Amino acid sequence: MIHGRPVLAAFGHALPWAIAIAYFYLAPYALSFGTQVMIWILFAMSLDLALGYAGILTLGHAGFFGLGAYAAGLFAIHVSPDPILGHFAAVALAALFGAITGAMILHTSGVTFLMLTLAIVSMLSEYANQARGLTGGDDGLQGIRIAPIFGVFEFNIFGKTAYVYAAVVLFGWLLFAWRIVHSTFGRSVDGIRQNPRRMRAIGTPVWWRLLAIYTISAAMAGSAGALSAHSTRFVGLSVLSLLTSGIVTVALILGGTRRLYGAFVGATTYFVVQDWSAKISPFFWEFVVGGMLIVTVLLLDGGLLDLGPAAVRLRDRWRAGREGK
Amino acid sequence: MLSFALTVLLDGISYGMILFLISVGLTVTMGLMRVVNLAHGAFAMIGGYVAGYLTQQGANFYLAVIGGAVAAATLGAIAEMTIYRPLYRKGELSQVLLTVGIVFVATGAVTGIFGAFPYPVVFPAYLTRPIDIGFREYPAYRLFLIAVGAAIAAVLWLVLDGSTYGARLRAAVDNPSMARAVGIDVNLLFTVTFIIGCALAGLGGAIGAGILSLEPAYALKYIVLFLVVVIVGGEGSFGGSFVAAIALGIIDTLGKYFVPEAAAYLLYAAVFALLLWRPRGLLPPKSAA
Amino acid sequence: MRRLLGTVVGGMLLQWTITASAGDVVKVGLIASYTGAFATWGSQFQQAVEAYRALHGNTVKGPGGEEIEIQFVYRDTASQGPDKAKQLAEELILRDHVKFLCGLELSPYAMALADISKEAKVPVVIMNAATASITRMSPYFVRVSQTVPQDVAPLGPWAVAHGIKRVYTIVSDYAPGYDAETYFTKTFNAAGGEIVGSARTPQQETNFSAYMERALQAKPDALYMFQPAGSPSVAFVKAYVERGLKAAGIKLLGGGETQELFLPNFTDDIVGTVTSMHYTETNNNPANLELRAQLEKMFGNKSVPDIASVAAWDGTMLIQQAVAALGPDVGGLKYIDFMKGKKFDSPRGPVEIDPVERDIIQNIYIRRVEKRDGKLVNVNIGEVDMVKDPWKIDNPPKSN
Repeated sequence: MIHGRPVLAAFGHALPWAIAIAYFYLAPYALSFGTQVMIWILFAMSLDLALGYAGILTLGHAGFFGLGAYAAGLFAIHVSPDPILGHFAAVALAALFGAITGAMILHTSGVTFLMLTLAIVSMLSEYANQARGLTGGDDGLQGIRIAPIFGVFEFNIFGKTAYVYAAVVLFGWLLFAWRIVHSTFGRSVDGIRQNPRRMRAIGTPVWWRLLAIYTISAAMAGSAGALSAHSTRFVGLSVLSLLTSGIVTVALILGGTRRLYGAFVGATTYFVVQDWSAKISPFFWEFVVGGMLIVTVLLLDGGLLDLGPAAVRLRDRWRAGREGK
Repeated sequence: MLSFALTVLLDGISYGMILFLISVGLTVTMGLMRVVNLAHGAFAMIGGYVAGYLTQQGANFYLAVIGGAVAAATLGAIAEMTIYRPLYRKGELSQVLLTVGIVFVATGAVTGIFGAFPYPVVFPAYLTRPIDIGFREYPAYRLFLIAVGAAIAAVLWLVLDGSTYGARLRAAVDNPSMARAVGIDVNLLFTVTFIIGCALAGLGGAIGAGILSLEPAYALKYIVLFLVVVIVGGEGSFGGSFVAAIALGIIDTLGKYFVPEAAAYLLYAAVFALLLWRPRGLLPPKSAA
Repeated sequence: MRRLLGTVVGGMLLQWTITASAGDVVKVGLIASYTGAFATWGSQFQQAVEAYRALHGNTVKGPGGEEIEIQFVYRDTASQGPDKAKQLAEELILRDHVKFLCGLELSPYAMALADISKEAKVPVVIMNAATASITRMSPYFVRVSQTVPQDVAPLGPWAVAHGIKRVYTIVSDYAPGYDAETYFTKTFNAAGGEIVGSARTPQQETNFSAYMERALQAKPDALYMFQPAGSPSVAFVKAYVERGLKAAGIKLLGGGETQELFLPNFTDDIVGTVTSMHYTETNNNPANLELRAQLEKMFGNKSVPDIASVAAWDGTMLIQQAVAALGPDVGGLKYIDFMKGKKFDSPRGPVEIDPVERDIIQNIYIRRVEKRDGKLVNVNIGEVDMVKDPWKIDNPPKSN
């Protein structure tokens, strides 16, 4: 955190939103890309709560994202096309699933937990594939009609509504997440990540705290899924895939965990670089993205958000070196 | 009826052998070096592609397979010395990021060099036919896999149990700091073992190309299977990965035979249940942690 | 009132963005996978498009004699989900101002574009997606490739006529697989055959031992397969030989699994496999010779012509001809109308674009894999002319 530098901190907090607003006006024909980036930021942020702060090693977060997406889509088709209601339904379902599965597996940790989450998301994905009548199978959920928000703001090919909608939801969750990680609860979760035994020793109900943060994280991921379903008006099997889990994990770590804004930096960087390099050559973007990941790990310790502090350290060391001579 | 049961068993075991050959390197990397190496599938893939290339040029099959293993080992050595060394100190998350980056690069490289089409390994004719095993005809290829897998497993077991290297390796897996304290050069052990693991993966990728088809998406597609073998078997445990690999192979085959619609569920449900029952894996090494 | 105004303004804005591109350049967006599991499709589309344009030029003369340049913009769906295809389509329309979209190897990709094509009034030339109902989803869809039922249906009667009475079917567990299973079963039964068993395999599966075992136990005269192009097809045919089904005298029937692209992966054991497809690589008609020569010249052995190449070749031709006939700026439906009813000689044989369904009507060839000059090839042993998609016949359109 930028301690003791309130102006810089305020600037840092405002920056993502300034960029978002600028993008809205400067790139009116590429809004859907911006919306997708914001959805993935939210998704990555949800993972940050679980992985970054609580130290819960999960590869199954796509399960919550996908569940939220399918819930929102199915809600729109079968119950009501109102996006707000659908959104709540999706978040509720994702949270419920998070609570139930968390309760089943949170007594384990490390790679065991990892594999369990992997097993869960794989089974969920397989179910979605098989239940063609419900989900459309690999054709995806077609024919989703979303009603305009508040009856006014339509979802259409320009994507203005979807963009603002995603931005507002992201902002809301960011405020919520910020409150949580800076609360006593949040600090206790951070403590659990660092040393669960000690936390138990001082009387913290570790398992319950983990379950709580896992559920919140699931709800947030489900919200991102609902945004995805509403903005693209389509839900395909990929929302539940392992690749999706993998990408969001990579995006988060790339940006830097445990800082909430890491999700912003990481998701944006990953998708911008991937999109840009895929346009240059559909065959070689994998090199570029892979190279970027490797270089980031080798040079920086905390992800891209660490660039600032790392530069400062470098400068200090250089100065010290000069003075030392 | 018995004949059919035996067939399914042989199918499962042969599949499991490939999984074992490829995963045994990963279990050591994760158990000994404590590195989450998601790029392990890439070494198997490279071994397979190199062997495929060599056989397509007309080289002898066995030499080509060894060529694949050597290629994988060489790349493993280079990677270990340059990219993996800094990883030992960094956290798991950095390891995940870096190894995923390697997978991307490897996938891109393979697409660029060999193309996006499925890439064949040309097997000798006698391996593509069924042979008579007494009560029925059975693919020679599968028997070959079982034989090679069993032979290598036996050699590994002998080395582990009987050689100084093996003893040092087991010691380092059980308790690295203690091992260092008694003078074992753990870093050298890491490097040598990593290279051997990559060689085995390359070998598995090459001979296993008939089951795990070679394509650019290989590394990403199959890493999950290898991780399952390692984690279900117990990180760092050779015996564990052997048992887990065979079990996975058999469960998968049985599932496909009896309940093809639910085969995928069956596998992951089995993994789920197994891990809840034995969180540290089936045969975890006795480590201090 | 506000909503109406919004729609009108939005519609005008949309039209403006689409026509905002420079007068005499027409951009065509080709959406396909160049990376990932379906990477072969993107490569083949691109190669065929480039081959056609190298031969016939990148520019056409419009109706008033003006020079119109046609540019292809390639976008990678990276074998990800249909939402990626949708996102790429939106960008291509809004940012790049394309007048046509094409490509689309998977049915879900094409389906995801139905709404956009209608909203933006952009014609979509489908170069592979083979689910029968797709062309009904938007009046802007036209297909130049094939439908699964179309390819499959003639095989059933042929099999019965050639002494195959009992068949075991194994198809891949996704929509085209179900279509294949349905139509083969239907036409086979109708001709007097009996299906003795069936199975569905997970998509992208390459380990078929268990399924082959069951098929062997059922003792059919032939095995009917439908597997997606790529490693599953290759692995399936290998398993058929390895598991002794061939040795037991069970014949193999299929579709796209033996395309020339994959034949090098097999040993001679595949000789004798009978498939039905709308394109046989060894066809000797002038258009096919031209396609093959051009691909060989430009890409050597990195290019193997098969159904993807043919569809992309024909699609490019239709697009360029439509622009030449009508000019760069007439609006989606007019281009579609131009294409409706077109009859032409494709490398696959004579084809027609159905004027009502906007789908393709073409010959279906029954072929057998043989060895000629030391190489495995498909050779025609039968032909059914100008087959219309049977699904459309079975399911007539409800309204106009």
